[in-house]
Amino acid sequence: MAAHPATPASPKNVKIKSPSPGTPLFGCGPRTLFTLSSWSLRKQANLVSEHVQLLLSNSQDVTNSSIQYYKMLLRVVFDNTPIVPQTSKSPDGLVTTSLTSNYLCLQCSTIVPEEDRIKHGNKKSHRFCMSRDLSVYQPVPCPADMLADVDSRTGSLFCQFCEDFVWDPTLEELRIRKMGTGSFTNRKRKHEELFSGSVKDTVKDDPRYISNNTTMASCRADGLRGIYNAGATCYQNVVLQSFLHNPLLRNFYLSDGHQSSDCQVSHCLSCAMDDMFQDFYALETTNGYTAANILSGFWISEKKAFENLVTTKEQDAHEFFQFLAEDLHERNGDGKRPETGSEHSCNCIIHQTFYGKLQSQTTCQHCGGVTNAIESFLDLSLGLENLQQKKGKKALKGAPSLTLQECLDDEYIKHDKCEYRCRNCNSSQQARRDHSIRLLPNVLSIQLKRFEFRQGSRDRGSSKISTKVQFPLTLNMLPYTTRGRDSNSRDSQELNRSCTYDLLSVVEHVGEIDTGHYVSYCRVGDQWFSFNDHKVELAKKSDVLNSQAYLLFYIIRSLS
Amino acid sequence: MASSSNSGKAGVIKASDDAGSMDKLAHAVLDDLLYNIMHDLLIKVHRDEKVARAATAAIRVEKLASDASDSSTPDARPDVKVETDAATYDEGKVLLKGNPLVTTKDIVCPRCHLPRLLYPTDGKGARKPDPSVIYCKKHPYIDKPGYDIYGQTWVAQGPGRGKKKKDMEKKLEAQSDSPGKTPTPDGGVPSGGASSRPPNMLPFPSATCSKCKRCILVTRLNNHMGSCIGNSGRNASRAAAQKISNGNGNGNGNGNGNGNADGTPPSSQRGTPAAGSRAGSPKKRDGDEMDEDDDTDNDAPKKKKLKPTAANVTKKLVKQKGSAGTKKEKVKTGSSLIVEHKLDDDAEGSTVEVAPKKKVSKIPSPAKKLKLGVSKPLISSPMSKNNGKTTAAGGGSNAGGDDGESESSGTLSSPPIA
Repeated sequence: MAAHPATPASPKNVKIKSPSPGTPLFGCGPRTLFTLSSWSLRKQANLVSEHVQLLLSNSQDVTNSSIQYYKMLLRVVFDNTPIVPQTSKSPDGLVTTSLTSNYLCLQCSTIVPEEDRIKHGNKKSHRFCMSRDLSVYQPVPCPADMLADVDSRTGSLFCQFCEDFVWDPTLEELRIRKMGTGSFTNRKRKHEELFSGSVKDTVKDDPRYISNNTTMASCRADGLRGIYNAGATCYQNVVLQSFLHNPLLRNFYLSDGHQSSDCQVSHCLSCAMDDMFQDFYALETTNGYTAANILSGFWISEKKAFENLVTTKEQDAHEFFQFLAEDLHERNGDGKRPETGSEHSCNCIIHQTFYGKLQSQTTCQHCGGVTNAIESFLDLSLGLENLQQKKGKKALKGAPSLTLQECLDDEYIKHDKCEYRCRNCNSSQQARRDHSIRLLPNVLSIQLKRFEFRQGSRDRGSSKISTKVQFPLTLNMLPYTTRGRDSNSRDSQELNRSCTYDLLSVVEHVGEIDTGHYVSYCRVGDQWFSFNDHKVELAKKSDVLNSQAYLLFYIIRSLS
Repeated sequence: MASSSNSGKAGVIKASDDAGSMDKLAHAVLDDLLYNIMHDLLIKVHRDEKVARAATAAIRVEKLASDASDSSTPDARPDVKVETDAATYDEGKVLLKGNPLVTTKDIVCPRCHLPRLLYPTDGKGARKPDPSVIYCKKHPYIDKPGYDIYGQTWVAQGPGRGKKKKDMEKKLEAQSDSPGKTPTPDGGVPSGGASSRPPNMLPFPSATCSKCKRCILVTRLNNHMGSCIGNSGRNASRAAAQKISNGNGNGNGNGNGNGNADGTPPSSQRGTPAAGSRAGSPKKRDGDEMDEDDDTDNDAPKKKKLKPTAANVTKKLVKQKGSAGTKKEKVKTGSSLIVEHKLDDDAEGSTVEVAPKKKVSKIPSPAKKLKLGVSKPLISSPMSKNNGKTTAAGGGSNAGGDDGESESSGTLSSPPIA
């Protein structure tokens, strides 16, 4: 605790660059949010490609209108159905819709397929397309060179002069923001709000202030380290790894969200997390990490609900996840213990990251009266056994395999019947119950109930369901939300976008229930890594998707 | 367009000429999708590469510019015009010249401004880096079986005392499966071990217990905390047993076997090994004792050699005391209390490096012995005091073994509670 590195954890008050999904423009991979390079700050504005420069630099008017036009094309590409940009009209009037990329001219409204791109460029540069442009943007010096097209599927800019895609910082930022959030404006984001302090200091807004007061972490410190197994603690390691590679938690801790030097609580788990984040992201060490403080905090903490968890034996990773989440909530949040089954709102980092709200709607079959009950949830637990049996009957041969969507359908689309005491009818009635997700969390954690707890036998059930459950890299949660129940909202691009999740980490249980082992996979940028205690290896997407997942963590694509 | 031909844009998935139109369409759609996947992959790589090279070109030209204008204020934008092959710098503005993929051949790190190593140094796709260049510390990750992304590998966790028998067997299997990366138990002669050991093989570290401040080998940490903080250790169960017997005096009603009634947390009960694991242990012990004999034989010459050197630093005096203490204790009994005491001595004087050593001598078994040889060269360097410690621990190897036992299998020698 004494050696608290003051390294990458300072940019509390300064907004560097709005976090955007996808790869950041400049900087070392995923750390752009908190690595501060004065260079990259200035470069955002100044580094311009030669030809885009021709397009942008002549006068403020030209620049603005070109950007406006690019924005409009991006709207065409991302906002509506893809049919519009994918459809092109050939010179002889034949209309074709293609699955592959078309190119939208940045100077006129023509959409051409890839083959005709050059033709269009050459021909149109001498005709009306360019002339129209010239009439509007008089000062353009060299119209023939001014050819740029926008890819109809990705929105990327293709320069006809270079005969290559160009990635201009200004336009790229627009594109990425549009792709991620669906809008160009830099909306105030939840976690930005969380991190920006109340004091807006003009001195501190100067990028140089940051660079002068920052000790840069080594380029090697990239948060990829194993955690030693301290004797049957792999169930902790996998959960810790998934926390370490959760961008929201990482940003919270690295921006001094909870400073272990300021905390008075002894054996505080949040301090232990803080130290761990600092060690992972500020030190050059590539050796495994010894999570001694987490472990002792875990042993010392006295939580009735998790009493059985504290042993020297293998335990359930999901239970540890719940334990850690609740403990960190208590340290960082309003101090209230989250009650199960009730609606609990809190502004702590754990609630902002993991908690969502479930709605269960009970409809009386007699009078049609509707009651809504809302409760907070930390994770979604999906049963496998019933579904597996149902499916097993249908598929006679081979082991049945389920998909994650089927499991979700079963819980959040289908309804069940229950007995219920209706207030209107004043009697016990049959009722229909629908479950749906009212509020989606930023990080959706899903538990697949692989371990069956048999009553009567020993306290831990003896069986493990090893059915394969296929899960996607990208998950759309809209159908399971309360809003997604109306069919007309289902087509809204905006809504669909706000319910899109990307797989962030997977916790896998291998082996039998009593001799098994936990390993995890986490994604950093676009690269997957497998974490097996202290061993960190590169992983392929196929490794990840073929794993026998037990816990899945999905992160929302765009924070709104 | 697509439906008119047999295939889509990629032209890889082709329908036969006599296929029906739906067939052709299906082939064309699949082919187009394949094309799109390739297109997306390429455009992503292209983007990353081009952006990185553009940044490189900009950094270079900015560097030139700041050099050119002998800058007393490093952050101010010099008002000079500088030009390189890839970019021009003009009063704070950088303009790229041409395609950075053509003009710029390498990539420098935007943070430390050192060139990036573009190929891994080992494993798949490895190339030898230029020794004359100082690279950015962020290296491409290594993809090599048996090694992690940094090219590190670990001393295999040998069969230890606390392990179940089946674990031991598994580990042995795993080791003999891959003789290349970890020396096999049979062939492992201490002298040979050093040369076959990869250069970046790391031992398991130790950590300090936050309660008792002792240094514990990381693999034992959880068990240690169980006995130190929690209530699952040997003494705890003994205390619990005592409580129960005391409880019998006061009130028979709840005393007998009902641990919860007299305040024993359920966790301590769970820590008590089941009958099954206990049954297996005598055999295991036999094997281990035999190993220990071997081990002490092995250590004997070393001990003689090193003893004299161990007497000249104050720290070592503590060590000596410790070893003397253990010997006495060894003569007396194996009582857990005394063992505990010994451990105390040992740990207070020790540094972090000690623990792996301790483990080495503590857990004698074929594989461990091997490791002894393996880890020797690591530490042999300037630390004669460490060697002194080794002897100390080696001398008390029996006692050390006991202490390992006390943490792992908890209540082995205590009376059953229920």
